[in-house]
Amino acid sequence: MQLSRKEILEKLQDIMISINDNDRERIEACTEQTRLVEDLGLTSVGMLYLVIVLEESFRIKFEDVGAATFSTVAKVIDYIEEKIK
Amino acid sequence: MKFETRHLFEKYTDKETFDNIKEYATLVEMLESSVRRYGDDPAITDATGAYSYRDLDRDVAAFRGALKARGILPGARVGIIGANSYQLVKAFLGVTTYGCTAVVLPMQLDDKTVFGCSMKFAMNALVYHDAFEEKIAFARSTNKNLVCLSWSEAGDAVPAAEVTGETPCVIMFTGGTTGKSKGALLTHRAILQGTVNGCYGYKDVFGQRYMLALPLSHIFGLVRNMLTPLYTGSHVFICKTPKDLFSDIAVFKPTVLVLVPALAEMALNLSRKFNRNMLGADMKYIICGAAAVAPYLIEEYAKIGITVFPGYGLTESANLVSGNPEQGAKPESVGIPYPHQEFKIVDGELWLKGLNMMEGYVGEAEENANAYEDGWFKTGDLVRLDEDGFLYIVGRSKDIIVLSNGENVSPAEVETYFNALPTVQDSQVYEDVLENGVHILAVEVVPRITELARMGVTNVAEYLENQLKEVNTTLPSHMKITKFIVRDSDFERTPSMKIVRYKKCN
Repeated sequence: MQLSRKEILEKLQDIMISINDNDRERIEACTEQTRLVEDLGLTSVGMLYLVIVLEESFRIKFEDVGAATFSTVAKVIDYIEEKIK
Repeated sequence: MKFETRHLFEKYTDKETFDNIKEYATLVEMLESSVRRYGDDPAITDATGAYSYRDLDRDVAAFRGALKARGILPGARVGIIGANSYQLVKAFLGVTTYGCTAVVLPMQLDDKTVFGCSMKFAMNALVYHDAFEEKIAFARSTNKNLVCLSWSEAGDAVPAAEVTGETPCVIMFTGGTTGKSKGALLTHRAILQGTVNGCYGYKDVFGQRYMLALPLSHIFGLVRNMLTPLYTGSHVFICKTPKDLFSDIAVFKPTVLVLVPALAEMALNLSRKFNRNMLGADMKYIICGAAAVAPYLIEEYAKIGITVFPGYGLTESANLVSGNPEQGAKPESVGIPYPHQEFKIVDGELWLKGLNMMEGYVGEAEENANAYEDGWFKTGDLVRLDEDGFLYIVGRSKDIIVLSNGENVSPAEVETYFNALPTVQDSQVYEDVLENGVHILAVEVVPRITELARMGVTNVAEYLENQLKEVNTTLPSHMKITKFIVRDSDFERTPSMKIVRYKKCN
């Protein structure tokens, strides 16, 4: 699967909106520099949800992850890029 | 007030099942009974394979042999650290049926804390998962009296010890009702009462398939997600990591899940997202606890034929105090107190006595003096009781912060890290809500101006904030602070000079 960083970001935004629809505006405005915990309020369970949906959506397998694994959106995109190479 | 409520639970299952719910005094009796009744049935499956009740019994006896071979005697205190697995269950049952007291350590503890626990709880031995060698290295080299053994060691089979209901069984970690981490000592009888309590209030009790995703170092995981299943001849599938929960469910097809509410809610959201029931067609019950369960979760699950059982329990009560029954449940309540649970409500606070209650916190004379009155354990939880005997939690104990994932954060414990800075006079950690509705942990500190002046610091707020952030990097992930505030005045104080704690979230 060949996807640009922008396409991965859009998929990520879709997933995060499905976690917390109340925060749609903030998520739609997010950039690669946006921080997952501080800016988007992702909890450990939110991170788990994100990983499960990413695995299903991108057909990839994550190593074991916790809330502290990815600090920013860019870090998640890096990880996915590496996995789908 | 003592409620003999066993008869109240009779109507929720058939007579044969109800009569099969027998009360044992010790894990030895329970395990013997399960092996006798369910011998070749599967007991536990994990990444290493499937094990029957007979396999478990054999391996537990061999592990008692390993303990004996290493010179450990019944009555000793034995720490156990490692990831959820068949080996952890085997080690726990081996230690406790050998007449030793198990200290089940949370796997995320660092090496210094493992050492600290070995001293605090006067451990004679420490059983570890081979992958945790680094975590126990400091304790092994520093505490010369500690016998360290891998949980894969085995010896010649040794029969179970002659334990009684009063024999100490396990020390479990808890934030308690007042703050700092401590160990609650539970006897075999208390653990068995907690185990049996998990059998009341629903139809299909025996021979179920359970999924284990909760840590066994948490009382809810150990008692409700492992011991009750083993008592009922059920089959437990141990998830390697929580992220594999749903792919494991698809393969194992469990009938019962034990979850914290945040995970139950996530499962619901995932089912909606993928437009399929992520919990599988065989799922009947979700036992939900460790944090308040939103009534809407119960209603949503009912629509897909799954019953969610909100209940109430504490580490100090070997998990279960009360639970909702399958029919006639009241979603806003935490259910009916289980048989033998003695309780009374004093100024709105729930006080407990009974077979399931702990002996006390280990080595905490002051904590124990504060926790009890006339032999009653004061839960710190505010409750009310309705005319049908259902309990409702009105407010949580005043200090503990219960995060949405069920983890307890003790503000006092986090504050000790910040208070260790010479530049901090006092601090307060609390739960706050950001503008976007997100719940976070925040800290406010009062600077120690004299020290800062001595150091020649001019921009106090900036300097201190950087120091706080540095401390924050050393905190365990569930204690991490998101918001830092440096005050220019002291906190509001009570007459006894205690800080008046914030209540920004309920």
